[in-house]
Amino acid sequence: MSDLLIQLGSAVGAEHVTPGADGLSVQGVSPHFVVAPGSVEELSEAMKIAAAARAAVIPWGGGTRQALGTPPVALDRPVVAMRTTRLNQVLDYTPDDMTISVGAGMTLDEIDQAVRPNGQMLPMDVALPGRSTVGGALACAADGPRRLGYGTFRDLFLGTKVVEAGGRISKAGGMTVKNVSGFDLMKLYIGSMGSLAIFTSANFKLLPIPRAAATIACEFDTLESVFAMADALHTSKLLPAACELVSAEGGQGFGLCVATDGLDQAVARHKRDVPGLAQKAGARASHVLEGEEHTSLWRRINDLSQSADLEPDEMVIRVASLPSLLGSALVALQVAAKKHALRLQISARVLNGIAYVRTRGTAWKAFHEVALTTLPEVSIVTLGLGTPEPSVDVWGRPPNGLDVMRRIKAEFDPANILNPGRYLV
Amino acid sequence: MTHLELVSELRHIVGERGLVSDPDALMTYNADGCVMDTHDPDVVVLPTTTEQVVAVVKLAAREHVPVIARGAGTGLSGGATPMRGGIVLVTSRMDKILEIDTRNNRCRVQPGVINFELTAFLKSRGYHFAADPSSQKACTIGGNIANNSGGPHCIKYGVTGSHVLGVQMVLADGSIFWSGEGIVEQPGYDLTGVTVGAEGTTCVITECWLKILPVPEATRVVMAVFNDIRPAAETVSAVIAGGFLPAALEVMDTLALKAVNDAYQMGIPPGAGAALIIEVDGVDDGLDDLLAEIVQIAKDKGAIEVRPAKTPQEQVNVWAARKNAFGAMGRLAPTYHLVDTVVPRTKLPAIMDDVKRISKEVNLPIANVFHAGDGNLHPIVLFDSTDPDQNARAHKAVEEIMRLSIGYGGVISGEHGVGIEKQEFMSYMFNDDDLGAMAALHEAFDPEDLLNPGKIFPRKVNPNELAATRRQASTVPGGLAAIVAKHGEKVWI
Ligand SMILES: Cc1cc2nc3c(=O)[nH]c(=O)nc-3n(C[C@H](O)[C@H](O)[C@H](O)COP(=O)(O)OP(=O)(O)OC[C@H]3O[C@@H](n4cnc5c(N)ncnc54)[C@H](O)[C@@H]3O)c2cc1C
Repeated sequence: MSDLLIQLGSAVGAEHVTPGADGLSVQGVSPHFVVAPGSVEELSEAMKIAAAARAAVIPWGGGTRQALGTPPVALDRPVVAMRTTRLNQVLDYTPDDMTISVGAGMTLDEIDQAVRPNGQMLPMDVALPGRSTVGGALACAADGPRRLGYGTFRDLFLGTKVVEAGGRISKAGGMTVKNVSGFDLMKLYIGSMGSLAIFTSANFKLLPIPRAAATIACEFDTLESVFAMADALHTSKLLPAACELVSAEGGQGFGLCVATDGLDQAVARHKRDVPGLAQKAGARASHVLEGEEHTSLWRRINDLSQSADLEPDEMVIRVASLPSLLGSALVALQVAAKKHALRLQISARVLNGIAYVRTRGTAWKAFHEVALTTLPEVSIVTLGLGTPEPSVDVWGRPPNGLDVMRRIKAEFDPANILNPGRYLV
Repeated sequence: MTHLELVSELRHIVGERGLVSDPDALMTYNADGCVMDTHDPDVVVLPTTTEQVVAVVKLAAREHVPVIARGAGTGLSGGATPMRGGIVLVTSRMDKILEIDTRNNRCRVQPGVINFELTAFLKSRGYHFAADPSSQKACTIGGNIANNSGGPHCIKYGVTGSHVLGVQMVLADGSIFWSGEGIVEQPGYDLTGVTVGAEGTTCVITECWLKILPVPEATRVVMAVFNDIRPAAETVSAVIAGGFLPAALEVMDTLALKAVNDAYQMGIPPGAGAALIIEVDGVDDGLDDLLAEIVQIAKDKGAIEVRPAKTPQEQVNVWAARKNAFGAMGRLAPTYHLVDTVVPRTKLPAIMDDVKRISKEVNLPIANVFHAGDGNLHPIVLFDSTDPDQNARAHKAVEEIMRLSIGYGGVISGEHGVGIEKQEFMSYMFNDDDLGAMAALHEAFDPEDLLNPGKIFPRKVNPNELAATRRQASTVPGGLAAIVAKHGEKVWI
């Protein structure tokens, strides 16, 4: 072990290797070393050393999504947390090209600060943007409410450089907004949870900050009426940027927050039309929020899916279904929660078929089982448990093509160094 | 198995009408729209069902014969050319639109559906499929997915890949599954995402779920005419830098205009150096003001005339002219080589100057029709392929443009794919380790290199060998693989 410490130190500088867990832990497993390389080359060197030592490497960005997945299966191997936080520079940014290349350790807030002065944005509303690194957000395929209007990382991620399990550095894609030069490895890496390679940099397409923006917050008594409103929006010609259902914490009722942005006149049109649709669907009230009120509301909504800070009796799951089935799925979950005396908190991208559901209470395990068995056509992934419990079926229904996925993992990481046991492959 | 036996078994699977084995007829399938290299297939099948495809692929796997999926053969990079012979599997008889589910903005189609037919079908229901390649009257959805095709409206809506929810894939060994059906987040590697753009090397697509979008409430189209290509390119760069989000920004230069003007009587003033088609869409409110601002930029950059397409019919005409520009090139020269490359959008004016210079240097006309808003240029080198000297000069021009584009931070293909046309250019962008990662992915899908072999990777690179070398290198001294051997499946969960 002490050899490994010295070797890692020689690769990244002794001051950037911490023996012991340095306060980090993944679902009960603590790393033996925390390593923070300062460059792609150093990361590559550190990975070579870790591989030769048969270590298990846990890529670590802001640590906000380490509750996802199963605990690492490290057996008798040294466990190394590989931090990307020092890879936090803007690498290439020509504002007029509307593209940027950043180190994987930059937080989403830092990226925002870099591009905002030029009237630009990366509209990926991940939870805890002040702590969440872009590498981690990509690895976990984080999404945000504005996926309705702007898509996800899959639509804006143009190129990357990664360090693979054995220390090999490879790149894919480029800095142009269109590119079909070879296989689209960006798609492979998004959502692969650090099981194939470690992002060191990422290139993105940026968008102009819209000239105007506002929220129409509509209050409803029942989930049914929220989804009636969602249907009305869906069939209208309106083009909201986000449409998020939020259940009132502890209290009664539901909010449907409709974000509109773009041209002044287009925003005015939404402010005019959305309240009418809401009223028809049975809304109690609707309010228009602008300026700081609008911005801070969405900052709070974006954080509702976080799984970084959990109470011991808390569980966060992601429910994904066809949009048309989301309403009935959430109603079923409500019923199950009631039966098991759990408090339920929902934030849902209703027009995309994605919901983040948090429960508080001791019977979460029974609730989870009921959810999996009664909603077979819905994907339920556990994002975090306040008290780690290895027996929980974290990934839910297994995806098709698992054999191919296993072969991909075997090609990229034959010795199972990266996040062993944590991903479903 | 002899050739005759293979043909006979295939006939058994797809029937007499689904089989082409006559040597003269096989020649039809020896290339796509890229005639750089040709190779006859051993046999062609035209299945009508997924079951037939599975049976063909299984037979091919057993007999170790390559399978090359082919849609309409409009590809421009040699993607459907059977470089090692084998079975060309044409999807033109799998052309059904199977299901439309507007509630979930999706539709399910067979791969041989023509892009335009789907577009027409959806339009009558108030929807559209956003990827609209200029070849849409002929090309198939399967080809669009395999090439991750683009089109004029991709600047706003994204390329094909942003609109594929999942595909039914038949792997090289004949196994079959759906990679997704419309749920947008699922655990597991994104097999849909890596199949889009893989040019038929990961699987044969037998069905797919596509994302469809409602037709926007309002659309405005104008054409700005310039006396040179440079101000048109400068306008595009300025519009992008100004933070506008147009639905399309397409440029045609003087040669292209001449070709389409003759064919479509667009009444473009003779001597016009370039035209820029600008489209904005969305809710009606504010669109006129937005367009006025963009038009002002064009005027500031020197537009000599701005023509709005006022009626829907006029808009259709403008787009018809743009989309048929390549076809109209036939009026200008016997052959053309259409170069597909992308540069960062600030580099558009500079590279347009370069293209002009190269045209002079090689003494061949080069026309330009392109997706300017994405920085995706298409210089079209016009020449006579029967003249060896012109051939050589055309080749030189293509290479020079590619080299310059990479120098500007560009990439070797924006939408036509690598195929055989660009495979030697891959090493301009990617080193062996980069290619190795691609080979690793390829290996997981097609370890025997049976699906559309000889594509994407440079000719001297055998992807299976490259993948094997990588695996070898991962087994570092001390026996990393031992961990897996010792703990077996358990480690792998
Ligand atoms: C005049 C003209 C204009 C064009 N304009 C554009 C444009 O604006 N934008 C653009 O992106 N392209 C354009 N193209 C190129 C071409 O039309 C597109 O690449 C198109 O998507 C190819 O479709 P296809 O059906 O002809 O495919 P093919 O040429 O038959 O095949 C293309 C690739 O797809 C694979 N493939 C086909 N079907 C399947 C399947 N079912 N499963 C797996 N793999 C499959 C083939 O193996 C091959 O690699 C143009 C071409 C022409 C001739």
